[in-house]
Amino acid sequence: MRTVLNHTCLLPVHLNARSPYSQPFPSLSELSSALGGLGGVSELEAETLRPVNLLQERNILPPKRAPPPEPNLSNDLRKVNCSPDTFRCTLTNIPQTQALLNKARLPLGLLLHPFRDLTQLPVITSNTIVRCRSCRTYINPFVSFLDQRRWKCNLCYRVNDVPDEFMYNPVTRSYGEPHKRPEVQNSTVEFIASSDYMLRPPQPAVYLFLLDVSHNAVESGYLNVFCQSLLDNLEKLPGDTRTHIGFVTFDSTVHFYNLQEGLSQPQMLVVSDIDDVFIPTHDSLLVNLKESKELVKDLLNALPGMFTHTRETQSALGPALQAAYKLMSPTGGRVTVFQTQLPTLGAGLLQSREDPNLRSSTKNVLHLGPATDFYKKLALDCSGQQIGVDLFLLSSQYSDLASLACVSKYSAGSVFYYPSFHHIHNTAQKQKFQKDLQRYLTRKIGFEAVMRIRCTKGLSIHTFHGNFFVRSTDLLSLANVNPDSGFAVQMSIEESLADTSLACFQAALLYTSSKGKRRIRVHTLCLPVVSQLSEVFAGADIQAISCLLANMAIDRSISSSLSDARDALVNAVVDCLTAYRANGSNIQPSGLIAPAALRLFPLYVLALLKQKALRTGTSTRLDERVFSMCELKSQPLQQIMRMVHPDLYRIDNMTEQAALHLNDSVIPQPPLLQLTAEKLTREGAFLLDCGSVMYLWVGKCCNETFIRDVLGFQNYASLPSNMTEIPELQTTYSERTRAFISWLLESRTFLPAFHVVKDDASTKTSFFQHLVEDRTESAFSYYEFLLHIQQQMSK
Amino acid sequence: MQSNNRSLHFKPERSRRVKTTGDMVLLTMIVRVADSLPLAASMQEDEQSGRDLQRHQSQAKQLCRKLNEQSPARCTLEAGAMAFHYVIEKGVCYLALCEAGFPKKLAFAYLEDLEGEFSEQYGTKVPSVSRPYSFIEFDTYIQKTKKSYIDSRARRNLGSVNSELHDVQRIMVANIEEVLQRGEALSALDSKASNLSSLSKKYRSDAKYLNTRSTYAKVAAGAVIFITLIVYVRFWWL
Repeated sequence: MRTVLNHTCLLPVHLNARSPYSQPFPSLSELSSALGGLGGVSELEAETLRPVNLLQERNILPPKRAPPPEPNLSNDLRKVNCSPDTFRCTLTNIPQTQALLNKARLPLGLLLHPFRDLTQLPVITSNTIVRCRSCRTYINPFVSFLDQRRWKCNLCYRVNDVPDEFMYNPVTRSYGEPHKRPEVQNSTVEFIASSDYMLRPPQPAVYLFLLDVSHNAVESGYLNVFCQSLLDNLEKLPGDTRTHIGFVTFDSTVHFYNLQEGLSQPQMLVVSDIDDVFIPTHDSLLVNLKESKELVKDLLNALPGMFTHTRETQSALGPALQAAYKLMSPTGGRVTVFQTQLPTLGAGLLQSREDPNLRSSTKNVLHLGPATDFYKKLALDCSGQQIGVDLFLLSSQYSDLASLACVSKYSAGSVFYYPSFHHIHNTAQKQKFQKDLQRYLTRKIGFEAVMRIRCTKGLSIHTFHGNFFVRSTDLLSLANVNPDSGFAVQMSIEESLADTSLACFQAALLYTSSKGKRRIRVHTLCLPVVSQLSEVFAGADIQAISCLLANMAIDRSISSSLSDARDALVNAVVDCLTAYRANGSNIQPSGLIAPAALRLFPLYVLALLKQKALRTGTSTRLDERVFSMCELKSQPLQQIMRMVHPDLYRIDNMTEQAALHLNDSVIPQPPLLQLTAEKLTREGAFLLDCGSVMYLWVGKCCNETFIRDVLGFQNYASLPSNMTEIPELQTTYSERTRAFISWLLESRTFLPAFHVVKDDASTKTSFFQHLVEDRTESAFSYYEFLLHIQQQMSK
Repeated sequence: MQSNNRSLHFKPERSRRVKTTGDMVLLTMIVRVADSLPLAASMQEDEQSGRDLQRHQSQAKQLCRKLNEQSPARCTLEAGAMAFHYVIEKGVCYLALCEAGFPKKLAFAYLEDLEGEFSEQYGTKVPSVSRPYSFIEFDTYIQKTKKSYIDSRARRNLGSVNSELHDVQRIMVANIEEVLQRGEALSALDSKASNLSSLSKKYRSDAKYLNTRSTYAKVAAGAVIFITLIVYVRFWWL
């Protein structure tokens, strides 16, 4: 009993896991016969189950970022299944029972990126949207047609009628082929919703910008960058002729801007009563962008100069947010907050909670949760009025992001953080801010959205991760939805799935587009159900598992403690590998054996433990830690994986061997390198891609052709230490390098910051902290970590 | 732009909210009468009316569903402290929810105004659309027009124009509850009638069944008597 209690674990611990309830483990011969019985698919499965001795095999990293495992489905189903970029499950073979899942000691959950930018999306306009009458599932490719007139729901197995309208196929223009309708041919579709899906007329796109204009903000120079960026993108803001826009600035008072059409110039209204903030005039603070465009431009041109001599150092963020709420509540929309310091006045004021001496403590990290519930409450009010709040924090000092981030967390917003932002002294941050704004202002947006995830009867969703508010047990309320946020859910198996061979999951997102159209985007994923433990291991999707564990660990570190969360992560690996060993598939008794599908598990967990969010012992500012947590909780899987385990390439000797040829450009494909300094050589140049930031590390003796032809400098010594981009040079060397980098960035929405790192520069540490396989003063190297796991397993 | 001389400072002592009473247009809807498909709408939500609006909105939706070609082309429906006014023109219904104190004359002038602009802009497209709120962008015009009608200064200027709308007094007035319930009563009657017919059907089948049973009983009784008679004749007389 005691050992179980001491054993911190993210997965539910079942005390009777080895009690008479659990079935005896199948013997080796039984297992292999079961495997053999699978016939054609066993080859693939055998590969993912190949035992790997992690202590001996060092080169476990695939040469390219591995694609997610293919679910073991028939070709027809595989062809129509949802893209893994949108919808992924941690186990691509769903275990039949909770007991089997417990035996595998792996988390079961889904990772979603529902509003991802898509190049191709079938849009369906029809009077009746066909849904199951009992569980309200949308018709999808995995339902079965009993005959021409009836279909059987794949989630609850109810038999439904096929409506008459559905008999006609608008694509082929023929009757009597309900199974050829686009809804049944595509697992990702979008429906134009009827008025049954509207509580009120679709809202217009409304954007309110809440700008910090205190001395600190003016000093950092962000206002200029923001105003210029908005001026450049004013035409590209998503919306139609109804789009509204407004501005509020704040320091120790709150300032509104009357932009009524017909005024000769913008009129500023100051409200100094921050204890009970009110809206000075109701009509003209949020104005039609099309009609008042000139005034908006005037204001944006004037704003940066208006506060240059301000002496106000206070910040009344809370009252300003309350004002924004009042201003927006009739319509809903998006509030974008720019904050540069700790809020010091009025409601929601915060105190500094960080002790700089404890930044690198190995003991517990305090203050990961909010200091006040003001921001959460406000966010919930906003969510109720369909207002999403996005936060841009640009501060050089501690600003208690743990409290501030709540305003976005519960209103389905996004958080951006630019530590030590300064428009002159920190050009890399300035460029990143510009690039992010460019994307942020022009990206797609959905308003007044809700999302519901349904799954096959027997499975149930119990925990959600991401930025939203859970309105009822399974309805996620998203005041705004953006194409860059991801969600994760945890599931359990409540009833045995023995009578079905397929499990399905459906995510439906109902939103109002910026053009005032109500739409429903539906994704459906289908996965096989298995009864053998070995099959569960074979189908494990290690990237999805790592991301889900990261989400769970962050929840744990806030609800319990950071050390608890770290222990739980280690135990997740220990438990899983112990379960695999107990399963009897282990042929060699010595060593640390993992199935090939899970061979990267210890590496990814070690990488997670070295993330800013979860690391201890290395100096980490509290705000940076909290921001890293926010990112892990709200980013889509691809982005998280790049952040946790970045990609390292050597790029000074790229050859055309195995290169991709796309539209007459040659894109070299250098192999992925392990994240260890061992792989670096002084003669080379290495590219480290961490998702939101990219480093180009140039060795001391790097060949001069590379420095000259790609970086445009004569030699290593003349390279500046703060280079933030690669020049466009007309050499093949440069073209090839740039082609490779832009290929990496192709599907990326936010462009990363770029740093050229010299071997001797001070920025070196930020590069080396990503080499997770290496030992640091306070953390294990990869090999030590493996030994630690082995030791834990033998306990 | 110097902030100190160009800006207006609001001090807490100043009177704050000008409470708007009796002159609000809370909801405007434009609906295709044939299938009650909403075409455009505009809403004015604020702290005071927020709660009630939901109820009135659903009333408005119900009302639109009730409308058909036979409905009066102009009508006012009282709903407590509010009133619905509507105009049907060319198969399109223009509906506004106003506070009861809002002059009827103005309300109809407002609706006529909307009608003119809407049919000019979108009139030809109305029969072909299938998506709800296809002309939601008309909202911008609605908002602007509404503002000009509820602004008391502008109202005076409108006064002269409105006198053309002389027959405002003759517009039918009814109560929204009655109108909505009339439908309900009808549907209740309908369900009662269908109940009755199903009951009578049952009665008929039951009667038939009883009839056949009694026939069988009679035949059986006759047969028994006949057999007894034969037996009697046979044993007694022979």
